[in-house]
Amino acid sequence: MTAKLLVVDDEPRTAELTAELLRRAGYTVEVAISGTDALERVRLNSPDLMLLDYEMPDMEAPEVLDSLRSGADRIAFPVIILTGARHAPGDQVVGIEHGATDYIVKGTDRQVLLARVRGALREHAPDAKVTAVGQLRIDLAHGQASLGERALKLERRPLHMLQLLASRPGEVVGRAELLERVWGTNYAGFEHSVEQAAHQIRRALKNPAWIETVRGIGYRFVAQP
Amino acid sequence: MGSATGSSPSPELASALHRLRSTLARLKAELELAQSEGTERALADLDEALSLLRAVEVAALGLVSVLVVDDDERLAELTARGLRRLGYDAESAGTLRELRPNEVLVFDLSLASGLDPRTRSALTAARPIVVTGATDPGSRALAERLEASDYLVKPVELEDLVAAISRRMAAG
Repeated sequence: MTAKLLVVDDEPRTAELTAELLRRAGYTVEVAISGTDALERVRLNSPDLMLLDYEMPDMEAPEVLDSLRSGADRIAFPVIILTGARHAPGDQVVGIEHGATDYIVKGTDRQVLLARVRGALREHAPDAKVTAVGQLRIDLAHGQASLGERALKLERRPLHMLQLLASRPGEVVGRAELLERVWGTNYAGFEHSVEQAAHQIRRALKNPAWIETVRGIGYRFVAQP
Repeated sequence: MGSATGSSPSPELASALHRLRSTLARLKAELELAQSEGTERALADLDEALSLLRAVEVAALGLVSVLVVDDDERLAELTARGLRRLGYDAESAGTLRELRPNEVLVFDLSLASGLDPRTRSALTAARPIVVTGATDPGSRALAERLEASDYLVKPVELEDLVAAISRRMAAG
């Protein structure tokens, strides 16, 4: 199925040009020319990804992002900010703290734009395949996991974290990657959430040896008999 | 917020650069979509204008560009995205491309084998930050031969990478 994108830019010509580039790459693209218009379109028909201009007269990107999140800790689809403004290390990057997935500087090569759109869609796509290691079976798409005959009670994020670790047995997965892929953020404040998720996984598996903590780095999945 | 150079550009300059970039970007998109005869040359000129604008942005805003090269392109992009979120102008690639002036290179050591002499020489000249899953003496020796500015073992924490980039920038 073709991914459905929403391009939001108050400059209609820019919005249409961006939309046309994406249509030529095979996406279905709608255009919104204000933050209010974008929120209305999302309410009617949620896109798979939004490309959001930072500066708009009615609402700037952070406001749009806050409305999209509406109290949840994550927006339901990836949002890539489009901006003409460059940044220096240490600058607060536009919109990222409000839940945007990434940003693209205007004028970036079309191939890079398409690669980032593809990457964000891929990262966000539900993993249809079932991960199985020995007696452990994780079905992320259906939010289920089991060890032998026993169903594991795991919330969405610990389940996702277990699936990520189990898909790479023996490999240390860093906290930064876990935060990025499971929580969609890399803010240090979320690291406690990773520890809590690891704790929940160990408790569900009733054997802490499945998930080894590699101090200061991350976690490693160690299959148990 | 400050920049890597310790001074912030005036709001007027930042705004003018911003507007110039947006305008050039729109023109570029127009030409890319037109795809008619003669646009190729105009596009090349426009790309040159954008690269000159980038040089101005580097000077005015203290922009730091980073290229993350890893044979695991997914991991390279995750790393680059993490750096972008911290304000770096970061891109990812599965293979080494020509570096821009002053671009910091983060390079997966496993890609070092089989490089042609010219690419290897460019790699050495870049004084890359080497990342590797291996910690054996051979890997360290290879990193030294490549004149690596830093040697980081995977999985690399973003804050460690940022520190290595700062050291690389400070070394000039």
